[in-house]
Amino acid sequence: MLVKMCNLFNAAVVVAAFLLMGPITFGKCVAFGSPSSSSETTMHTNNWAVLVCTSRFWFNYRHMANTLSLYRTVKRLGIPDERIILMLADDMACNARNKYPAQVFNNENHRLNLYGDNVEVDYRGYEVTVENFLRVLTGRHETAVPRSKRLLSDEGSHILLYMTGHGGDEFLKFQDSEELQSHDLADAVKQMKEKHRFKELLIMVDTCQAATLFSQLQSPGVLAIGSSMKGENSYSHHLDSDVGVSVVDRFTFYTLAFFERLNMYDNASLSSLFNSYHPSLLMSTAYYRTDLYQRHLEEVPVTNFFGSVMETIHTDSAYKALSRKSFSRAEIKTSFDKTVNGDERRILADSDGQDLLSDLKKEDQQGAFKHLWKTFNDEVGKIEDVDSFVQYGLLVMLPLLLLPTWLSW
Amino acid sequence: MAKTDRDTSKGKPRPIVRLGIFLISHSFFFSVVFSTAGVLALLLLPVLAKNTYISENSLMPGSVAPMLSDQEVAEGNRLIEDLNALKSKPLGSGIGSQRLVAQYMSNLGAEVSFHKFHRQPSQFHPLHFFSSPDSRRIEQNISCALHGVNTIGIIRAPRGDGKEAIVLVTPFNSVKVNKNEALSLGIAYSVFSLLTGVPWLAKDVIWLVADSQFGEYAAVAAWLRDYHTPVFSGVGTLDAEMCPEINNLRGMEENLFTERMTFDGFKRAGTMAAALVIKVGDRTQQYEDSLSIYAEASNGQMPNLDLINTVNYLAVHRQGLRVKVEKLWSLLNMRWLKTLGEMFELLGHYARNINPQLKFGIPAAEYIEGSATLASSLYYQALGIPTGPHGAFRDYQVDAITVEILPKVFTLGNKVRQNDFLLRSGRLIEGVVQSVNNLLEKFHQSFFLYLLTSPSKFVSVGVYMIAFALLVAPLPMVAASLYVNASNSDESMNSEKSSPSATAVDSASSPTTTDAAPLVTLSESTPLLTAADSGSLATVADSASLATAADSSRFATTADCITLSSWKWLYAAKKSFIVYLWGSVVSLLPYFICQIPSCTPTTSFIIWVLLSILGLVVMYGILASPFSDANDSKSQKEWAILKSVTLSAAFIGLCLMSIINFATAEIGGLLMVPMCLMAHPLKLDVKTRSLRTISRAVCNLVLGFIGFPPVTFIVLKGAFEGFSSINVGDFWSWVESLWAWNSATYLYIGVVHLPCWVLCIHILFHHC
Repeated sequence: MLVKMCNLFNAAVVVAAFLLMGPITFGKCVAFGSPSSSSETTMHTNNWAVLVCTSRFWFNYRHMANTLSLYRTVKRLGIPDERIILMLADDMACNARNKYPAQVFNNENHRLNLYGDNVEVDYRGYEVTVENFLRVLTGRHETAVPRSKRLLSDEGSHILLYMTGHGGDEFLKFQDSEELQSHDLADAVKQMKEKHRFKELLIMVDTCQAATLFSQLQSPGVLAIGSSMKGENSYSHHLDSDVGVSVVDRFTFYTLAFFERLNMYDNASLSSLFNSYHPSLLMSTAYYRTDLYQRHLEEVPVTNFFGSVMETIHTDSAYKALSRKSFSRAEIKTSFDKTVNGDERRILADSDGQDLLSDLKKEDQQGAFKHLWKTFNDEVGKIEDVDSFVQYGLLVMLPLLLLPTWLSW
Repeated sequence: MAKTDRDTSKGKPRPIVRLGIFLISHSFFFSVVFSTAGVLALLLLPVLAKNTYISENSLMPGSVAPMLSDQEVAEGNRLIEDLNALKSKPLGSGIGSQRLVAQYMSNLGAEVSFHKFHRQPSQFHPLHFFSSPDSRRIEQNISCALHGVNTIGIIRAPRGDGKEAIVLVTPFNSVKVNKNEALSLGIAYSVFSLLTGVPWLAKDVIWLVADSQFGEYAAVAAWLRDYHTPVFSGVGTLDAEMCPEINNLRGMEENLFTERMTFDGFKRAGTMAAALVIKVGDRTQQYEDSLSIYAEASNGQMPNLDLINTVNYLAVHRQGLRVKVEKLWSLLNMRWLKTLGEMFELLGHYARNINPQLKFGIPAAEYIEGSATLASSLYYQALGIPTGPHGAFRDYQVDAITVEILPKVFTLGNKVRQNDFLLRSGRLIEGVVQSVNNLLEKFHQSFFLYLLTSPSKFVSVGVYMIAFALLVAPLPMVAASLYVNASNSDESMNSEKSSPSATAVDSASSPTTTDAAPLVTLSESTPLLTAADSGSLATVADSASLATAADSSRFATTADCITLSSWKWLYAAKKSFIVYLWGSVVSLLPYFICQIPSCTPTTSFIIWVLLSILGLVVMYGILASPFSDANDSKSQKEWAILKSVTLSAAFIGLCLMSIINFATAEIGGLLMVPMCLMAHPLKLDVKTRSLRTISRAVCNLVLGFIGFPPVTFIVLKGAFEGFSSINVGDFWSWVESLWAWNSATYLYIGVVHLPCWVLCIHILFHHC
């Protein structure tokens, strides 16, 4: 009797939960049913950053400082080192001309040493070539290349690609010996798209005539921002008369100024970042290419690219993780042809899993709830002999009855 | 049938051929236009000068705040005082001052070494004219007593790779300590003491205190020679083996200090990125501290413009010094130059009225300044003698300049003024060292071939070459036209003699050429081919069903013509070859004249002239006389062929020289081109007796007089310096200085200019 009550209660809760989740789940199911591209359907799983400084030589100090500043920023906002590919000529810090050995600054106040501990340079010196750059993007490495030097992104990755150096009309110079053309970049991005290597890609370029580098891009999900239009130069911000070189470029300087105000929990949108560039400050016109990007910039927090999303996948037991995508897809197929009552738990789990809007905390709570509920159900399911169970139950009830009487007494 | 064949094959010559024909057929008009345009373009150069800019990105001059402070200046002052104190001591100041400097250097922690060198007598070695300085090690007659000692201090870059070095040079006469030289040492020392402590050096810094008792250049050149020719035969150098007594001398004055000093071995750093010779000038300036830059090295070679730009930028924009380059002061007061400047200014004004975008024309005053500087730039490049010790570096492809810092008038006691002067000059040198230190490659970005019109304005090779090209362009044109005319007139003369029918055949067989005047026929076929062509014409006529009798007779007459017209040039060529041969003999004569002991310049010069004349007469008598009579009688136009050969030779000579030393070729062209173009036998001119011919004869005489190299020298010298102190011997001394410095200008005068002049004179007095 009591058990039945329990079951009834159980069912009521499940129904209530289902009613709550229903509309969302249904919406999701429709989305899944439509034959749209996978980028919309897969969820944002992780963040990667590829930071490239394409120049070398002492007088290009500022490009290395730019890259290292951005490296520091994305690390601060949560992208871990193993998801940052840093390509750097790396000939500044220990250059004989550097008055401050093993230190790199991006401001003449010298408050912040960018070359402190924990700078992991993945490609340094003469490894920064167009070939290596394209290999990183497209993932076509030789077998001997270690995992730390590969961009191991997936269908749900948001990638930030930052490049700085000397550029021109539709090209970017690599270390004074090679050049990357806009066609090469567009081709690499297209390959990445076809190989499901990203969900969204933000390309940020700080060079002269940066806008021209984006002219050939055509892959959906790509957002591009450049420091200058065609025919414009990108200028350095200021000269450090102590070190004797320009230490940072204007575009990067104001980008950093924007991010210095943020921490990883801030919700500043991409449009607020883009609006922070004033042509009078940059001495050039920042250029955005948004036509390949579906979402509204106002709704996209900058941390979608500059920060990091760490997906927590719940597994039933340790070391038995299923691939998340196959898991959810299998359930979607079943969720339509089964009755609500018959598969309520699974739908609950599914809806939970597919909820893009839910933040991490909520997901965690629901995960815990789900877990308890599941174990309870499992335990219930294991019991075969209902009668003995009832008797045992009554016997257990006896001390419970005694307790209140003793208390009231 | 044959006619159509000919038409199709020769139907229409290519445009460039037609252009050539056109130019040659109107050679008189075009030669006047081109040579005027050449002179005009030269005068226009100051207007066309561009502002200099720093082309090499890595230099970044002035990006660092100077670190030189009063502390280093005080140290520099201490050295100056010690040096001046040493001057008052009469005994042993020679080696004393060097030891003092070495002591100061080693106190800073620099590596110090001495370099002993011997004076090399400047002598004309015809076989070693263009050879590298290394091979000039012919030291048979060095007097061991005469030696100088350079002091070298080297700072090793703390984190550099030691493969490159920057050189600072301060010439310093150890025998007679000069106040200005002491000041320059003070400047260099204060910079040196700063550089020992800085962490940013990527190149080693070498400070060479060059012992200038035998001349600044000799000391620097000797050090550079030893720097670049390492001796691997142990410790002792070649010098030490040759003069053992010097070593003893050195051993005698040993004390604690000299033992510590590293005498053995020649200290080296890496390849030199740039060198800076620092001097303090004698001429004090009225109003402000200023800076003179000397850049010309041997044979008009210049250091990279970026080096001058860097110094100029730092001096003007950082230290507020006034920068000057040499100019011909006498040009500043010339009336005609002033009117010309005003004219250009006016023209520029009009041009701007028409189109405001046109940036043509500069103020007249600026034009005069610019042309005075340009003229001096041209002159020093043309001379081919380095204007300072920096020239020695250029021989090793090291970019170097001399900066002469001219202080404002200050009394000796004015300590504050001197400190300020030291501080500013020191900071300038520090800035240049810092910029060069930033370099990653050799200087290569900016120009090597340029003329300066002011410290911040230059004319690049692409612009100034136009003037020269225009100037020499008439030479081949007139030569071709003269030759064509001469051989044509001969031919027509001959054919008139033979038979009128032959000419009729000629005109009938080639209708394409008849209507276009005889010039076209001539130019269509190259001069050498005229004879062959006429031969073929005959055969063509033969097949063209014309009277065979007339043909055969014509064939017979042309056979005679062939030998005459096609080989006529050979005789003229032989003549001019003899003259050119004589020219080279004349340029070798000074080597023997030098051997004559106790000769004043004037007597040497007279001996030279007499020997030259003798040589000419002898060579002409032996080589040229036998054929001259035979040919002269036959050809009325022999002088024209000779002139054409002269012009061609002059053209080739000038073009070759323009590759070796452009400025020499330009000045030589200005003198030679009018002389060669005008040359015309006086006899003919006088015979005609028209105003035109008489004036031509006068012009020819004047040009012929001026064209003689010694006269040219004296006239030019008189024009710029006044005729009061002119001596015939001056030319000898001038020429002596040219060969002492291995200047190619000497060869040019002897081998190109003088023979050309002789040929022109020969044409003038031709007996036709």
